[in-house]
Amino acid sequence: MVVGMKDTVKLVGISVIAACAVFVCTLFLNYNRDLAAMQGEIMTEAGMAMYRAQVSTGKVVAAVSGGCLAITSVIMLLFYVKNYIDTHGRELGILKALGYSGFKIARHFWVFGLSVFVGCALGYGLAFLYLPSFYALQNAEQLLPEIEVQFHISVAFFLVGVPAVAFSVLAVIYARLRLRRPVLDLLKDKHEYQTKGNRRETKDQPFLKELAGSTVRERKALVFFVTFSAFCFSAMVQMSLSMKDLSSETMAVMMMTIGLILAFMTLFLSLSSVVKGNTKTIAMMRVFGYPYSDCSKAVLGCYRPFSYMGFVIGTIYQYALLKIMVSIVFADVGNVPEYRFDLTACAITLGLFIPAYEIVMYGYARRIRRLSVKSVMLE
Amino acid sequence: MISISELVKSYGNAGNKNQVLKGISLQIADGDFVVILGASGSGKSTFLNVISGLERPDSGSVVYGTSDITRLTDEKLTQFRKDNIGFIFQQYYLLPNMTVEKNVRMGADLAGNREYREMITAVGLEDKTGKYPGELSGGEQQRVSVARALAKKPKTLFLDEPTGALDEQTGRQVLDYICRLHQEYGFTMVMVTHNQNIAEMADTVVKMNSGKVTEVSANEQRKTAYEIGW
Repeated sequence: MVVGMKDTVKLVGISVIAACAVFVCTLFLNYNRDLAAMQGEIMTEAGMAMYRAQVSTGKVVAAVSGGCLAITSVIMLLFYVKNYIDTHGRELGILKALGYSGFKIARHFWVFGLSVFVGCALGYGLAFLYLPSFYALQNAEQLLPEIEVQFHISVAFFLVGVPAVAFSVLAVIYARLRLRRPVLDLLKDKHEYQTKGNRRETKDQPFLKELAGSTVRERKALVFFVTFSAFCFSAMVQMSLSMKDLSSETMAVMMMTIGLILAFMTLFLSLSSVVKGNTKTIAMMRVFGYPYSDCSKAVLGCYRPFSYMGFVIGTIYQYALLKIMVSIVFADVGNVPEYRFDLTACAITLGLFIPAYEIVMYGYARRIRRLSVKSVMLE
Repeated sequence: MISISELVKSYGNAGNKNQVLKGISLQIADGDFVVILGASGSGKSTFLNVISGLERPDSGSVVYGTSDITRLTDEKLTQFRKDNIGFIFQQYYLLPNMTVEKNVRMGADLAGNREYREMITAVGLEDKTGKYPGELSGGEQQRVSVARALAKKPKTLFLDEPTGALDEQTGRQVLDYICRLHQEYGFTMVMVTHNQNIAEMADTVVKMNSGKVTEVSANEQRKTAYEIGW
């Protein structure tokens, strides 16, 4: 078998993201379905306004969170498939040389979709366990008829079955496209044929600056993940801190937990990939006498601006989302306070983000220190 | 002068210890071209790694002038390699996503050498500065690694089977470049090889077997890369 089950274990990041996406979507979509069944029992105008607001909130949250996380999962899946083909090019090239067709090899990549299935099933299960508490919170406001948790097969189908199949098909199609390369290209090292397309004239750039630049250019997907990680941290933590007047404490804690899990999971996966992908470069730099600090700065430091950019985008995103929710979705509902940019929440989040991010970077810089030059060169 | 004394190096744990270097002592004069000859498994590459500061010995000393590098901290050893040592490997280890020029700058920037293009010209690659390693032949890649190593102006150059992956004609060409640069710049050169013919190009030949130096001899008359057999 070309791709084994153990290869899918490395896709834990996709599982976590899928779990978070399905968790949030299940809460709101299941609630919406149950709420819709009670629509006829709502008699007051205020109740109807609240009903419409709740339905819209559910749709917006499910679409924005689910959509955002789904896009991230797709990018992560494609990144893993590409990475797998790049690192196993020789084995795959030999199979093609022996006469296996591209599709025959690519079809084994369906197992990558299993990570999505595991994540979705986990997210759905956790959401179903949490739904009674979630409903109790909504019922406590007594603006809408009391509703009970119902199982909706369509929600389970669209949030667990469909993504698992879709991601498996996507993995196979993408692998098939990547395997269209000639056999000799697959047999060569990844970089041996990547030349002219990436060429950039930076003649007077010092080596370390050039290395930092090429590290970023060579791994654009990782730039996205590092930015996304900071985005999640910034958006979710600020949102949970600044929405205390708009929602329950439980929702805020849930949002913060999801944000932090996503942020750290994505950051760990990205930086692990960065260090792993640059081990030979770091080893050669060490052989030549570059200090560890230069290696870390060139290889890890180049991602720092993207992290802070992610933080800024996350800040804007959460502000825009809450502003839209309050001014449009809750427009008809009374007693909803006007939403303003929460500078305190932003300052607290930035105060948490900087040390957290720098500690993680320090941890990976330590990992670079532990790289054995000899073991890398003997590979 | 490099003074190597009673060098011992083992791998493995107490129950399964493999002593690779068994108390090697040797003197290498400044500017000398030393070839270390030995069969596979004789310990010659480990010896090269230890005397160049890439690995630490279990015991013994490696003294450059007055500085014993076996006693240096990691930071000081890095600084030592930066200031004194150049490497050329059999597998070249060029950075694949960087052009010839940037690969050479990797060495040149460490020494603040702004004239690094001269080194690219010296190895005959002046028309390939914008090429990537993947676009070069094996011999050209090895010449880039020669330029990279020498662009940092090392006092001692270590070469681990530099022609091991090259055919005869290309191997001779690379050796010729190295020897001409050695004569021009006067650095000390220590080369590990299993090719006995290359030994005829050296000032001193050190033969190793099973972790020990078995013979040290000097060549009266050095041959060029095109005069030796292959």
